[in-house]
Amino acid sequence: MFELLDTALERAGALGGADVEVYGERSTSRRVKVYGGEVEQLTAARRTGLGVRVVRAGAAGYAYTSELSPEGVDIVVRRAFEHAAVSDRDEFVALPEPGGAPADVDPYDARVEGVSDDARVELALAVEAAARAADPRVKTVEDTIYADGEGEVFLASTTGVRGSYRASQCYGFAYVLAEEKGQVETGISFTVGRALPDLDAEACGAEAAARACRLLGARKCPSMKATVVLDPFVAASVIGVLSSALTADAVQKGRSLFAGREGQTVAAPSFSLTDDGRHPDGLDSAPFDGEGTPSRRTPLVAAGVLQGFLYDTYTARKAGRASTGNGLRGSYQALPGVHPTNLLVEGTATPVDEIVAGIERGVLVTDAVGVHSGANPVSGEFSVGISGVLIESGRLTTPVREVTLAGDLLGMLRGVVATGDDARWVPGGSILTPSLVIEGMAIGGT
Amino acid sequence: MGVNDFDLGLAAAALERALAHGGEFAEVYVEERDGLTLRLEDRRLEQTSGGRDFGAAVRLLDGERTFYAYSDEVDEAGLTAAADAVAAALRGGHGVGATVVQLGSAQSRPGAHPVVVPPETVDVRRKADLLRAADDEARAAGGEIAQVIAAYADARQRVLIANSLGEVVRDDRTRTRVSVQCVARRGEVIQTGHETLGGSCGFELLGQAAVLGVAREAAGKALVMLDSKPAPVGLMPVVLANGFGGTLFHEACGHGLEADAVAKDASVYAGRLGETIAAPIVDAYDDGAVVNGWGSAAYDDEGVPTQKTQVIEGGRLTGYLYDRLRARQAGAQPTGNGRRQSFRHVPIPRMTTTYIAPGDATPEAIVAATPRGFYAKSLAGGQVEPASGNFVFGVAEGYLIEDGRITTPLRGATLVGNGIDILMKIDMIASDYEVKSGICGKDGQGVPVGTGQATLRIAEMTVGGTG
Repeated sequence: MFELLDTALERAGALGGADVEVYGERSTSRRVKVYGGEVEQLTAARRTGLGVRVVRAGAAGYAYTSELSPEGVDIVVRRAFEHAAVSDRDEFVALPEPGGAPADVDPYDARVEGVSDDARVELALAVEAAARAADPRVKTVEDTIYADGEGEVFLASTTGVRGSYRASQCYGFAYVLAEEKGQVETGISFTVGRALPDLDAEACGAEAAARACRLLGARKCPSMKATVVLDPFVAASVIGVLSSALTADAVQKGRSLFAGREGQTVAAPSFSLTDDGRHPDGLDSAPFDGEGTPSRRTPLVAAGVLQGFLYDTYTARKAGRASTGNGLRGSYQALPGVHPTNLLVEGTATPVDEIVAGIERGVLVTDAVGVHSGANPVSGEFSVGISGVLIESGRLTTPVREVTLAGDLLGMLRGVVATGDDARWVPGGSILTPSLVIEGMAIGGT
Repeated sequence: MGVNDFDLGLAAAALERALAHGGEFAEVYVEERDGLTLRLEDRRLEQTSGGRDFGAAVRLLDGERTFYAYSDEVDEAGLTAAADAVAAALRGGHGVGATVVQLGSAQSRPGAHPVVVPPETVDVRRKADLLRAADDEARAAGGEIAQVIAAYADARQRVLIANSLGEVVRDDRTRTRVSVQCVARRGEVIQTGHETLGGSCGFELLGQAAVLGVAREAAGKALVMLDSKPAPVGLMPVVLANGFGGTLFHEACGHGLEADAVAKDASVYAGRLGETIAAPIVDAYDDGAVVNGWGSAAYDDEGVPTQKTQVIEGGRLTGYLYDRLRARQAGAQPTGNGRRQSFRHVPIPRMTTTYIAPGDATPEAIVAATPRGFYAKSLAGGQVEPASGNFVFGVAEGYLIEDGRITTPLRGATLVGNGIDILMKIDMIASDYEVKSGICGKDGQGVPVGTGQATLRIAEMTVGGTG
């Protein structure tokens, strides 16, 4: 692949007068979906592509292609130059210089290579069987998926960046429907790792079933101001929304509610949040980011105080500081943009039983829908639909659904009175978080 | 190399190989996609990006099982590897495999969605200037507009679909879209407004006046919300405005009509054909053939011609949305709803343009007939669980209705409810039908969809706010 990158750099050199970066990607993946004890779908994929970023006179252009023929490379380089000619100039646009040694993390597990399709099917079937066996009220396991992939990325630029690494990932997933007295409730769970032997099929299936069954019989509850316990799945989706306001991109463009608050108290003292691109267990860990900047650990909120933001090369130059290694790419089709890597939430690590026992009136929230549409990272307003279980006099009592949870994100962070001892990785953003306990939230019901 | 130079002999050979160990249906999907996106933010055209994808997928169906393999290598080696991968995955197939009927001549429907000005013939600088004009127009709407993000996208997607029934279909699709998001700020208060315009057509859609209109709409939404008060909490009548209001039907009902959810009994609409699921004044459709519609195409991604499907007639459930696989299982006809994001995705039942048909009231009469309620002018998006029908929507622009008049703007509102419950409570529908363009996500695939609706009233619904 490096030969191909070098060919592209040579072509670009012939066009002249620009800094050029080429990103290459090569991966294979497999996905198995089972239903009712049978394979429903098996997908085998091979993916290759090239992306070219050109910076000419302070203006950036990007082009990508999946055609790796000499002709395909010619076209993609030429297009990137054409696109650079259209973009506006900006003194801070530049390709990074080499940023030192890559972070010492290996996101690849060689065991991913030895996995057969039979083993993949077997794991998915085990997840489904565990969900079915967990509770007689399980009506169906609508989706059971096992997927894995391994790939290699390559980066080379005229400013001297050159590197590559391999990565592997796999996951199991179950989406369970439980039914009782005509009412249907749903539950999900995941198991994630770098290779199949990391996964726990039994726990994944059983948890998805338990999450669905615990909501059976749910009704609306009265509207109230109450303490809520967001379980790790729900907490992760809220952290995901918050994190977009913690990028320098959002701050510099006036889209962040955290702008200008560095050094200020933005959350309760029992809340800390860190971005860690080299966490050994983090699925989004890598030796370097999509621009070749080494990954690192960046504190965002420490004991309630805002420490700083996440930067890529562009936003760092604009702020007169160094990139934090958060210039990430979704694929060869995308330009690098500022995104979190792995996010870690830390706090009081209070046993969850103790937390519930201390709540006079509240809700344990186990599902939230509409977080991405109902939470606004610009204004901080937050209103989502939730399901969960009522907490009355220190006890979990009746399940609730079709109620709303509303507030504003900053108020919510300041209301975090404790965090649980149940921290776990939640995929779809790679977030390690415990349950969050928040006072004074508005529940909208009957 | 592109779809037009693709040798059909390779497809025929791949279909044979795919069926080597049995299977009932095999298909080759070849896709070539060239796209361009421009993005302006902070008064700067910061990203000009575009690219090309060319790839092929081989699909094999056997009973309820799907085997799928894809690759970026659209040559004999790539197709052979993909076909062998699906054949190997099947191994012990049910009974005798299908045989490939000799491929017929390619079908196509040129002109079904006319493209007057192919976007690739328009200088990129003109597209950039359009965004700069939108930026100026939005900022001119008021000094409190703090930020404008304007985006332009066009794409030309050429597909070739050949299957073991001998059918060969070619479709050449062009889509063009512009979107504007505005941020308004007054002291500590920040509000956003968003508007889009898109279609299965060329650059002719985006005349200067139309694009400036999109910018003014987006800016207006953000500005009006600066004066908003926290939305109340509780049950009340909800008037959904035309256009974006259709998202609610899309989420609360449409997903439950997609035949994959129905087949798994994971939809509240499963097994209820002919039953009353909505108020008698409700008629609803999915129409993938709307000329130049953002969610339209001449054929779906399985080569089935798109069509208009009535899903609710006088409140009764009359149909589901099928792809080939689910239609075959149900003994129904495919409805042209088998769609995929790209060759890297398995086709599944998806909506195209889904809408509640207009009635004969006026929007003014509906508001006037509502002493106190919530007026949802624009929805931010939402989610639904098809199994239970429960949904949640964020309201981007909402108002209080007092004494039959639209009054205070309200912020931070969500609408929460259950699909059938809400459909049954629709008691007034106006005639001001309008369609909006969006991207719908399902199973990790995003496809362009239209959502349409006239202004209508839901007699009672839960509004969740902070006030």
